[in-house]
This record gives sequence, structure tokens and C-alpha cells, in this order.
Amino acid sequence: MKYLTTRNRCVAVSTIIAATFVTGSLLAEPMKGSLVVAVNQEPQDLAAQGAYKEINAPGLRNVLETLIAVDPVSGDFIPILATGWDRVDGSTLRFTIREGVKFHDGTDMTSEAVAESINWVWSTENAFTIQEYAGPGAITAVAIDASTVEVRSSEPDPLLEFRMSLNGISSPTQLAEEPARHFDTPIGTGPYSFVEWKQGQYWSAEYNPDWWGLSADDAYGTSRPEFAGIQFVFRSEDAARTAMVQSGEAQLAMFPTADECARAADADGYHCVTGPSTTYLYGRLDHSLHADERLADPRIREAIFAAIDIAGIVDLYGMASVPPGQLGPRGTIGFNDVLQPYAYDPERAMALLAEAKADGVDVDGLNIEIVGRDTTPRIKPIVEAIGAMLGIANVETDIKVQTPAEFNPRVRITGYSNEPGRQMMQVHVKQNPSGDYGLLLLSNYACPNIDDPTGPSRSSVYCDEEFDGKLFEALASFGEERAERMKELVKYVHDRHLIVPLALLDRGHLVENGLEFTFGTDHRIQAVYIKPVE
Amino acid sequence: MAYLVRRTANSLLLLLLTVSFVFIAGRMIGDPALNMLGPGASDVALEKLRRAAGLDDPLWLQYIRYIGNLLQGDFGVSYRFGFSVLPSENLDEIGQPVMDIVLDRLPATFLLAAVAMGFAVPAGVLMGVIAAAKPRSIADRIVTVIALAGVSIVQFWLGLMLIVFFAVHLGWLPTGGYGGFSHALLPALTLAARPIGRIAQIARSAMLDELAKPYIVTARAKGVQEGRVVFLHALRNAAVPVITMIGDELSALLTGAILVEKIFAWPGIGLLIIDSLSRSDLPLIQASIAVVAALVILVNLLVDLCYRLANPRIKLGNGA
Repeated sequence: MKYLTTRNRCVAVSTIIAATFVTGSLLAEPMKGSLVVAVNQEPQDLAAQGAYKEINAPGLRNVLETLIAVDPVSGDFIPILATGWDRVDGSTLRFTIREGVKFHDGTDMTSEAVAESINWVWSTENAFTIQEYAGPGAITAVAIDASTVEVRSSEPDPLLEFRMSLNGISSPTQLAEEPARHFDTPIGTGPYSFVEWKQGQYWSAEYNPDWWGLSADDAYGTSRPEFAGIQFVFRSEDAARTAMVQSGEAQLAMFPTADECARAADADGYHCVTGPSTTYLYGRLDHSLHADERLADPRIREAIFAAIDIAGIVDLYGMASVPPGQLGPRGTIGFNDVLQPYAYDPERAMALLAEAKADGVDVDGLNIEIVGRDTTPRIKPIVEAIGAMLGIANVETDIKVQTPAEFNPRVRITGYSNEPGRQMMQVHVKQNPSGDYGLLLLSNYACPNIDDPTGPSRSSVYCDEEFDGKLFEALASFGEERAERMKELVKYVHDRHLIVPLALLDRGHLVENGLEFTFGTDHRIQAVYIKPVE
Repeated sequence: MAYLVRRTANSLLLLLLTVSFVFIAGRMIGDPALNMLGPGASDVALEKLRRAAGLDDPLWLQYIRYIGNLLQGDFGVSYRFGFSVLPSENLDEIGQPVMDIVLDRLPATFLLAAVAMGFAVPAGVLMGVIAAAKPRSIADRIVTVIALAGVSIVQFWLGLMLIVFFAVHLGWLPTGGYGGFSHALLPALTLAARPIGRIAQIARSAMLDELAKPYIVTARAKGVQEGRVVFLHALRNAAVPVITMIGDELSALLTGAILVEKIFAWPGIGLLIIDSLSRSDLPLIQASIAVVAALVILVNLLVDLCYRLANPRIKLGNGA
């Protein structure tokens, strides 16, 4: 610089300032208008706890961020509002909080604020639905110092990191001053700040120029949001969501049908992207506790499962794959690669039933109730198909598709304990976003506590002391040992024909041409993962 | 006037019976607190809600309090937000008044009903008159087919076809949502199909009866112009059954547009009732149904008054 004249110095400095300003503006300002997303349902609320499940509050993660999150490409935990974390012991995690982050209301995200937000969401006194992903112990958080928060579980919890990737961190100032607004006006730290929720129509947010990710080296997605605003429009009808993308009203529509996705291949202006999800379709056949005693006969159970053509069910569902003989996808901790889907063999089914009949079991009197919930896509043809398949093996069935009000109580202890001698196969979908068999085995196979209808295994119909003993040992274990124990248990339940995995569901999205949408198995719609095709 | 007073009193009684029925039904389908919070709710949360909402009081006391509040125009607050954790035990502080929510949805419902009836009444009446003026003609047969199609067509299919044609292919109208008049056109057309058909059928039938009567023959014999005979004399006398049908259809639009509101994401009262039912938001269910019931009663009252306007010989209150 010393070789430059004064005039040239001025020009150089001005150029640098101008370049910095222009570059800074380009980095800070979004390029496009609003991103309009057609979603399949209106959220019940926009509370911080709702950030755990995309389907209940689509898009909420654009406003509310978590301490850590699952990277949609690698599947690994990545830092968000925490810059690092360590395990202190089996029940404690220590997070280093990102500095300089502000909530959208202008208040600082301090370690106390983070702890307060976590305590609010995970409080066992509250009835937040996130409790379905609660661990073996109660979760509490405490600020250790200005930049450290310690999260503790009252019991050893190998999945504590996963649980901390679920809950949104929201402004405690709002909770103190306007608690009711916490449910309809989320105040988070994300790249978009909430604008309005027009009930029955949409909710929207605008670009947050103060987002920490604009200046952080380790921001997730693109550190340069492409859209000036986002709008999530509620369209419960599949065809209406598709029409929004076809007409150019929306740039993205979630969960088209398999047919709509296939048609997009020949469409102008938009395309369909699909990917695996953590959602599985299964058939749970009554076993212990109030069930018809014939269903405890292993031959009858095997016969019923052998009569079901799983590949046929997958075809019928569309956008799904045959599950590998277990409920979790490959990659889940505890996945057992030895297992195969139950083979479709109606002749063997009939032979097993004949054998049981010869031993005096009243096989002819069996009448299996095949029940689905009407909110599950394509459930009616699926339960009808299962009924027809069992009919081929000479098993009588009674087909029902019920509303959630009728169906839900029958799935849980409170319902089935009122139906002694029940012979029901519940056909339903569930998710397992944890990437670990722990939750899956606990909720589906652990003997439920009749006296505690809110317990984690309340939708299980299986009681086996040996299994429960092994399961609770496995749940408290870590690392390789945990994976091995889970593997063994997955095979244990497979061999006893308790639940028939029917399909692993794929999910799809219709996306306007020219946009690239990156998503993981949770299918979260986050604007920082949507950008123009390069 | 006496008739009006009597009808109003009857209407209020009917309204009272309706809200009482909804109040009792809401408590017959299980524990309202459990329905609202869901089976995963903790005992603490359930107790807090019961106490805050007065659900732990005897049913008769809850009913008296409910009716007493209604008489003061207080329908309570929605439990949709905040009910599960109750940061305050004073529900009025955390819940949105349900009547505010219902009143917020009413303009959308009225707009949709008005535009739909704006299509249906002139089109239906005109079609019925044209068909009756020349029975068994080609025009009559075309009207009959269109009317039958309007009554029979599946609204869901029609709505989607209109979206595909007008919004996707032509790009003239939005696919749905709530906005200006253009947003109302497609859902209103979908909703109007059935009333057009039914009004056309009734208008044709009533007009055929009237046009066969001696006074019409006399008018024609006197050389009165055909248009005057049909539209002034016959149509006026045929108006009573047509008005009844319009009233029925209007009531149906106010209460039964749920499917169309869902397809077009139209935030009317039908969609609100479905949402509040799915969320077991008892105060909102009660208020929505009370308002809808009041609207239907009002429409029926107006229809009765219209009889008198259409035909002054009709004496209201004497079996009319």
C-alpha cells in the first residue's frame, strides 16, 4: 500500500469498501421471492416441542432450531445451536452453546435460555406429544456457565443425543411474558422468523438477516438462504397439492401419491423426488393379554403370516419397498441382516392350520379382525387384500377401516383390555426416527403395564418375561454391545411371528424444475436445503 | 307481528335444545379432558385442565354455568393452544375466545354461499322456466339432463376437474385458498352444481303446474304477451316451492360445504367444525354448531317471510 499515491489509495480503499459491501449484500440477501410449499395438514400448534416431527408441524425447523440435528445426507449429528458436545457419563451430555445467537425477539440465546427451553419441552408435567420419544429417565437441563448447558437423564440413556436433536429452542422471554403465544407465534433463532398463521390457510415466515448461519463457518445447508420468505399452505387433498405445483402457485408439494409421482416424469415444469423414510407399515396380531388363546399357538401365527403376500402389499401401497424381515431399515442400530421377510406360502399356511386342527385346535372357529385406520393412505385396499389372502388359506376374516376415535383406543391397553378373547390384526404405520431399535422394540414388543396406560409400550400386545429382561438390559447398554443385544432381540421377535412388517415407505415431493431439494429420512422441509440447480 | 314473535320464540327454544344436545353429546363421548389432551396426557395435566375448565364439577352445574354464560354471549375459550400445559390456570388468559374464531370464519362461509347461490338461483330458475315453457322440446330435454347431472355429480370430482381445467391448464383462476372474488369462483361453481339442478327441477315442475291452470289460459286468450304470462303471472305463483328449495339449498351450503372447503382449502365454518372435532376442542365445537344452527333457523324464518312477499294471499301462521 505504501507504493500507492494518495489518490490511488482512496480509490483502492473505496473499491475494497464497495466490494465488501456488494459481496456482503450478496451473501446476506436472498435471491428469490417466497418459497411456497403445499403441505398435507395444518399444524395443531407451532410450539417448540412440535419441531420434533415434521409431519405434525411442517416447516417449523425453518424458524425453530435445535441444539444438534441429523444431517440429511450423512445421517450424522451436526452442530446447530451447540458448537460441540461431550458425554459426561451414561446419563449426561454437556453442550457448548454457540455464541452471539439471538432469538427473533432480539433477546440473547444464553445458556440459561437454552436450559429453560429444554426443561419446558421435556417437563413430565406437561402433556407434550414429544414424550413419545422420551427415554428411560426424565430429562432436565441446567446452565453450568455462560456457554455450557448440561442435559441430564434420571436414568442412563444411550439415545440422549437423539432426543436433543428433536426439541426446538424457543425464547424463554415469550414463555414468561406471553405464554399463550408460544403455541401460535414461534420465536426461535432460525434463518426465517415467523410472520403470521392464517388458520385454515397457511403460515409464513420471512428471511432473518441476523441469522447466525450467515457468518458461521459451520452453518448447516446453504449459508445463503435463497428465498425472501417461506409460506406453508395447507392442502389436505393430494390432487390439490399437485395442482398447486402444476399451476406454478407452489414450488414444492409434499407427499404426492405414487401415481402423481410417476406422472411427474412426463410433466413440464416440475419433477418428483423420492427417498426412503423411517415409516413402516406393519400388521400386529393379538398375542398375549386378553387375546384369543388360539393366537398363542405358534403354528397358527406362522400360518397367518405365511398367508400374506408382502410383495403384493408393497405393490398395492406404491412408493414402498419390501421390509427386510424387520421393522427398521438397514443402518438402524440393531439391524439383523440375517433375517428375511416372512415367505409367502399359502400351502404351508394351510398345512400348519391342518396340523393344529389335528391336534384339537378349533381352527375353523378363528375369525381374524383386520383393522386399519382411515387416515393411513390406501389402507382400505390393503386390509381388503390381507383379508383375501387369509381367505385363500381358509382363515375367516372381518375387515374394518375405523376412524382414529374408534381405532386408537383399541390399539392401546385401555382399549384391548376391554375386549377379552380378541382376534385382531392391527394394520398401521409408525415411525422410528431414532436410527436405533431401542424405541422400536420397547413400543412394539415390551409387555405393557396395564396400570399405566400412558407408558411407552402401551401399544404392545406381547408379554414375555424373558424378552423383557433382555430388552431392558439392551436398552441400558452402549455401543457395539448394544447393537449385538438388539440384533439378538430382533431375531427373537421375528421367530415368534408377533408383528409382520408389510412395507417400508418411501416419501416423495413434487419440486419445481430448477430447484434442488435435499432431505433425509425425516423429510424435513427446510429452505436452507432448497437451492437452484447449479 | 304475532307470528314473528312466536316463530322467534320457537327458534330460540330450538336453539336451546340444539346447544343442550351438543353440550351433553360432548360429555357422552368420554372424558372431555382426556379427549382434549389425548391418551398420553399426564394425570397432573388432566387434573389442571379439569379444574381450570370446571370439568370436575357435577354435570348439572356445568350445564347451568354454560347456559348462563351463553345468555351473556360468552361461549368460552378454545383449548387448541396451551390447553395441554396450562401455563396459567386462568383459561381466559391463554385461550382465544371461540366466538372470535367462529366470527372470523363466517365471512368466508357467507361469501362462498353468496357466490354459489348467485350462480344457482338465476341459472336454476331460468332453466326451469325455459324447460316448462316448451315441455318435451329439445330445450326441455337438455335442461332435464343438465339438472340431473347437477344433482348427481360428485362434488369431489367436479372440484378437481374445475381446478385442472381453469387453474392448471388455462391458468385463469387460483387452485384454491382464500382471497378475493377469483378465489371464490371455483369452489362456488362446484357448490352451485347441485342447487342449480334441484332448483331447475322444482322450478320446471311448479311452472308446469301453473302454466296448465285456467288463469293462464285466460291470460293467453286475452292476448297477453307470452313472456308476461310466463315470467309475471306463472313464475310468481310458482315461486313458493322454488323459495323453499332455495332455502333448503342455502342451509345446506351454510352447513354442508365441508368437502368443497377441504378441496379448495376454503377457511369456512364447515372446515372449522371438522378441525375442532378432530382436535376435540369442545368449546369451539359447541360454538360452531350453535352458530350454524342459528343460521339455519334464520334462513328458515326468512324463507317463511319470503312466501308472503311472493304471494300476499299466503297468511303466515295459518298453516302456511
